[in-house]
Amino acid sequence: MIVSKAFWKIVLKNISSIITPTIILLLFGAISVSSTSSTSQFEAAEPSIVIFNHDENIGLTKNFIEYIDKHAEIKTDYEDDDRLKDALFYENVIAVVDIPENFHSDMTFNHNPEVKIRSSAGYSAELAKTMISRYLTTASAYAKTNISEQELISKIDAQMENSVEVSIDKAVDTSKYAKAERYFNFASYSILSCFITIICLIMSAFNRTQLRKRNLISSMDIKKMNRVLLKNCCLYSLAAWAFYFALSIFAIGADIMLTQYGLLFALNSLLFAGCATSIAYFISTFALDASAVNGVQIVIALGSSFLCGAFVPAQYLPDSVLAFAHVLPSYYYINANSKIAGLEAFDFDALLPILIEFAIVIGFSVLFIFLTNIVAKKRQKIA
Amino acid sequence: MKNVIEVKHLTKSYKNNKAVDDLSFNVQEGEILGLLGPNGSGKSTTMNCILSLLNFQDGKIKIFGKEMAPDAYDIKSKIGVVFQDVAVFDELTVYGNIDYFCGLYIDDKKMRERYVDDALKLVGLEDNKSQYPKQLSGGLLRRLNIACGIAHKPSLIFLDEPTVAVDPQSRNNILEGIKKLRDDGATIVYTTHYMEEVEILCDRVIILDHGKIIASGTNDELKALAKIEEKVTVEVADLAPNQLSGFEKIKNVSEVEYDNGVLKISYSKGKNNLIDMIEYLKTNKINYKKIFAERPTLNDVFLELTGKDLRD
Repeated sequence: MIVSKAFWKIVLKNISSIITPTIILLLFGAISVSSTSSTSQFEAAEPSIVIFNHDENIGLTKNFIEYIDKHAEIKTDYEDDDRLKDALFYENVIAVVDIPENFHSDMTFNHNPEVKIRSSAGYSAELAKTMISRYLTTASAYAKTNISEQELISKIDAQMENSVEVSIDKAVDTSKYAKAERYFNFASYSILSCFITIICLIMSAFNRTQLRKRNLISSMDIKKMNRVLLKNCCLYSLAAWAFYFALSIFAIGADIMLTQYGLLFALNSLLFAGCATSIAYFISTFALDASAVNGVQIVIALGSSFLCGAFVPAQYLPDSVLAFAHVLPSYYYINANSKIAGLEAFDFDALLPILIEFAIVIGFSVLFIFLTNIVAKKRQKIA
Repeated sequence: MKNVIEVKHLTKSYKNNKAVDDLSFNVQEGEILGLLGPNGSGKSTTMNCILSLLNFQDGKIKIFGKEMAPDAYDIKSKIGVVFQDVAVFDELTVYGNIDYFCGLYIDDKKMRERYVDDALKLVGLEDNKSQYPKQLSGGLLRRLNIACGIAHKPSLIFLDEPTVAVDPQSRNNILEGIKKLRDDGATIVYTTHYMEEVEILCDRVIILDHGKIIASGTNDELKALAKIEEKVTVEVADLAPNQLSGFEKIKNVSEVEYDNGVLKISYSKGKNNLIDMIEYLKTNKINYKKIFAERPTLNDVFLELTGKDLRD
């Protein structure tokens, strides 16, 4: 009882240190909600494309450019390569098409001219590449029949005019879960930061050599004391997680969070909270002082959240960074969020990849509990 | 009187270095036993071994007639410890800290409240109970450290250099508090390298050096080991060599030292040599500024036994 009382007094004394990551999470949640539009209607997207034409603007080349213009927005003024790279990164331009010299004649005579396409990442880029590839594949197929350029253009135009009417009877609007995904991805930082800060500060206080000596010589069973401390750490974690989940209902909306999807996000974050608790408990066995705890918290919470794609989507991160992220639990937590957001059915096959991510996060928790036990046993005696 | 602590052949080594070497002693109920020795003499190691905070290679330790062990919680419930370094929670108030450490022994809330108030009173921190440790001066912090160790009213108390780096007011307060604890019936093991405190407080003293007992007994018994009965100190500005040799010829003078204008004369016998010395100085027309006599200290005993100063 007295240990629990001291534990919570110390929590309250340090509560100010977790306000900052919580406010940031709240702001991030609010921004997430306001920046995501509803997708109740389907509208064909027109990707922005830059064309560098090294051929004459005649015949098949002219027809190819007109085809692109019909299905995309052609952008100009991107002569500077650095500017173009920036535009691709920020998705101001989705694709860059390089039409080679003698394209129209090479294509007509079936010489397979190479059209180079550079694109940004994401869905729009895939759409643009598919659109361009469709034209080139069609042209290449007709060119094999040894027809004139004019006939080739006519056949391509006729083929390109064919379209399929698509109607959506039932679809899961997974885009609306994207904001929940962003919120919970960012929550990985807040959870790690708050858990490491508070648990480490409290446990480090109890584990300080002099205080440990006092506890060890007292008539309270030290194993019982450790159990009480662990129980309170878990209670704190559960309370903090519940607070962040309640905040998600407030920031994202009950219509999203109180659904099967919302509950999966909640379960994922609960498992991650458990893992963050075990990490914090492990770090606390080293009895760091307050400034060291702050440093460790910054390195682990901020570092792993950044490396694993909590702030910047994983597709923009270099492969080397993502390869390193595989050893961090945040990576699997964020992966699970992404898979939950894109989930289209609630059957076992669809859920299996998510369950595997859950299992990996649980595995990390077990690993850190194991490591904590090893270190704690070595520190049982003062010498 | 019955023995509260029995230590037999205690040996504790760190690799090849024997920190405690075949130590045997008893602590009797109601006494204040002083463990005196220079830094590194094995005082704190002995204390930590007795408290089962350290493993040791050889020996047996009994407290209240039972063998001491890390899980001997019935013994631990009667022990209070004040460590050399302040061990309190920065995040808890003075009251919160004492309440916490008292709560490790006492479950009853009302009884604990009374005990905490008594501890605050004993160390004179009643007016500081709402303050946090960082708001306290060094001396007050030491008093809090003591209150945390003794709030549960233990019958055996270990005090490990509790007055290191404290102001004179706090030191007096602490020493008075310790006397009161003894008067209330506690048995106290007092570890220090301040011989003055041992002389004031302790009923019996054990002098340690290099992990071994080099002497033990009451203050008077120990002082008898020093081969001097009185020391007279004289501040003399100038002293010629022939004048200095004259002091050595005075009856019962065993040693004469002259350094930086201070003359120290040790007498092997007699307790009233001051008047004779004043007469001698007057007769030989030696001008002096100050003169005083003192009894030998435990430092003199230590010096006699080891050839070095306690504070070396």
